[in-house]
Amino acid sequence: MVRFILRRNWLRLLIWAVVLVGMIPLVYESQRAAFPTEADREAYASIANTPSVAALTGTPYAADTLGGILVLKIWMTLAVTLAFATSFLVTRNGRADEEDGRTELLRSNVLGRHAYTVANYLVVGGFDILVGAAITAVAAAMPLPFDGSLVLGASLAGLGLFFLGVSAACGQLTSTSRGANGLAAVVIGTAFVVRAIGDLDGTGTTPGWISGLSPIGWAQQMRAFGENRWWPLAPLVGGAITLCAIAVRIEARRDLGAGVLPDRPGPSAAGRFMMTPFGLALRLQRASIAGWFAAVVVMALLYGSVASAMANLLGSNPVFAAVFGPNGSSATKGVIALLVMLNAIVASAFVVESALQVRVEEASGRAEPQLAGSISRIQWAGGRLLLPIIGSALMLVVGGVVMGSAYGASQNDAAQVWALLCASVIYWPGVLVTAGVTVFMIGVVPRLAPSLSWAFFAAVVIISVFGELFSLPTLITGNTPLTATPRLPVGQFTMPPILVLTAVAAVLWAIGLVRFARRDLAQDA
Amino acid sequence: MTTTSLAVDVVGLRKSFGRQRALDGLDLRVETGQIAGFLGPNGSGKSTTIRILLGLLRAEATTVRVLGGDPWNDAVALHRRIAYVPGDVNLWPNLTGGQAIDILSRLRGGVNTTRRDELLQRFDLDPSKKARAYSKGNRQKVALVAALASDAELLILDEPTSGLDPIMEAAFSACIREARTEGRSVLLSSHIFAEVENLCDTVTIIRLGKTVESGTLAELRHLRRTTISVILDDTTADLSPVPGVNDLAMDGQRATFTVADPDLGLVLAELAHFKPRALVSTPPSLEELFLRHYGTELAANGVSVP
Repeated sequence: MVRFILRRNWLRLLIWAVVLVGMIPLVYESQRAAFPTEADREAYASIANTPSVAALTGTPYAADTLGGILVLKIWMTLAVTLAFATSFLVTRNGRADEEDGRTELLRSNVLGRHAYTVANYLVVGGFDILVGAAITAVAAAMPLPFDGSLVLGASLAGLGLFFLGVSAACGQLTSTSRGANGLAAVVIGTAFVVRAIGDLDGTGTTPGWISGLSPIGWAQQMRAFGENRWWPLAPLVGGAITLCAIAVRIEARRDLGAGVLPDRPGPSAAGRFMMTPFGLALRLQRASIAGWFAAVVVMALLYGSVASAMANLLGSNPVFAAVFGPNGSSATKGVIALLVMLNAIVASAFVVESALQVRVEEASGRAEPQLAGSISRIQWAGGRLLLPIIGSALMLVVGGVVMGSAYGASQNDAAQVWALLCASVIYWPGVLVTAGVTVFMIGVVPRLAPSLSWAFFAAVVIISVFGELFSLPTLITGNTPLTATPRLPVGQFTMPPILVLTAVAAVLWAIGLVRFARRDLAQDA
Repeated sequence: MTTTSLAVDVVGLRKSFGRQRALDGLDLRVETGQIAGFLGPNGSGKSTTIRILLGLLRAEATTVRVLGGDPWNDAVALHRRIAYVPGDVNLWPNLTGGQAIDILSRLRGGVNTTRRDELLQRFDLDPSKKARAYSKGNRQKVALVAALASDAELLILDEPTSGLDPIMEAAFSACIREARTEGRSVLLSSHIFAEVENLCDTVTIIRLGKTVESGTLAELRHLRRTTISVILDDTTADLSPVPGVNDLAMDGQRATFTVADPDLGLVLAELAHFKPRALVSTPPSLEELFLRHYGTELAANGVSVP
């Protein structure tokens, strides 16, 4: 059974592992470049302990060593990613298989009731331990102190194992894979938030007692490259074993396909608003939209409050100065301008995803009965595409206002709210050009639309953020939807680029919509 | 050609996807107020034809008339008068069946709640369940309720009973007959012979994107033989010399054979001399008609033809 699961998942496991382990050398190199000398690191340590850092990545300790900085920068990302990876893998081979009836097929053969489940836990548990070991090996090779590297790997593997237990239990409680993943995500999110509250409540580099209620807090307390403690590993592994044992007990008592928590019935009629294409799109995408807005608000809060600290820190570094402060303008303005653009990138990602839902409806065959109704293609697609148009505008407004408030609060300058709001909103035409490319693709090459739209988005991001570092010709770097937009507050606001972007967006949208109305409906068979 | 009395009128329909020819000279007519069957094996072009009738695909150089209009250019106006049930019903997994019915009904014009609730009861469907939890049959019911609750003049149903159990199939048949009584026209595609035989007034049989036979059920039956089974007292009687008797099989007192319909009177007159005790005649099933058209193909693939 273990071999069967490995064969079905090896590529997935490998990709997760490479992504997780690969972050270590990447971040290590960038931090070594940013803080090359002892003095740089000490300077960093003195400013690192801000509330937003504590909330997002934990209270910094040993921030004057490269190992400490590495933990500060990447540990929380790795921890949360590994927790999600573990949960998704457990659900994929557990509840998802059961839901689709594959488990039924397997279990009708000569196979113990728990054989497949236990094999699943063993494979994913082995994956967690191997990722931990690989992280240890890579960190030690950087070179970082071996004992610290060992604790780093162990803290992450231990956390992965704990969430293996959590997702195993979730898979037994709910009756759908969506429910199982959702419940596990809620647990991970709660653990993160509880720890964030505890860390904010901390004194010096010691988090408050509330962090002790969160498994992420336990793993953090191993303090790799700091005190290198081993005892928090015990509750992590112990919790994992207990939760897996409970999951197996539940499995022994329940019917195949059933969960412990019931599937709730929903309303038996649709509301008036939901019966319009726009309302339906909003209803279908509401969870994802809430996620995008949450991301924008969190990012804007964080960016706004750290902008000036970052600018002070990076101003002296020539590599970063190249990115942040073109033409010798002040570093802070450069940082702010870049952060506003990052918010526009998030809005661009949202419009691509949201606009592609038109294609998703078409490909899945759900568009067909809708278009057999008395509604023109343009009305149908247009109603749905109103969502990325309005949503992105709101996102830019919210991002600008929140970032402006956070930055303004740190500078005691209320005018920043208006300034950053304007800086953010002028990206709207550029964002709509990116959305227009997606609409164009949906109309002209429906089957390739998802991959081509995301490829265009990726190109825009890479050129906008790193274009100058790669010394690409300005013909390319200056003419993406985001770089063509005046970069406030560094640059000067001028109207022509905004008008050109608006015109380009209008043409792309028009061609895309007209082609969609005039072509055959293309369903994925 | 009197287009006004035809709900659907298609002559010589062609459609290609890239280099692949899906429809190659297909004729299809649905008389107003009748139920038309549309038979063909999987992949013969039934769904493609239906999508053209709905203006979801564009026809190549043919005149297609649906309710007197052009399904591609007049789609929005026509769809108010048409209700459609797709062959493979896909719903939004996290919306309930009731919500899906309302959304689809609303797109065509409006929701008739009384009719909807009555149909939900007849099809025994729980509208408060999330579509994710529905079986294939239940998803089919959602599309059927949405279509039947409308007052559309033309119902276009693409294999509507796939996934329904026999009780629900009976409920479905009753609903379709009621629709005919109300004067509505129905196009019913299927590969289930009994269903078409049971419900339809006319039948069009297609194969490889081409119409191979069409007419009323009565007309098509003339093309086939009736199967007759008789019980004779005289076990030594030999029916083989009787002109018109084919495929004779003797089993004790029982003799079974087929007769071409024009020879029927002659054969029965001859049969009287043998003093049969009982006689059962079975009309030809569409299955037999169907197998005659695909028989050569099936035989070539090594499938035995009865």
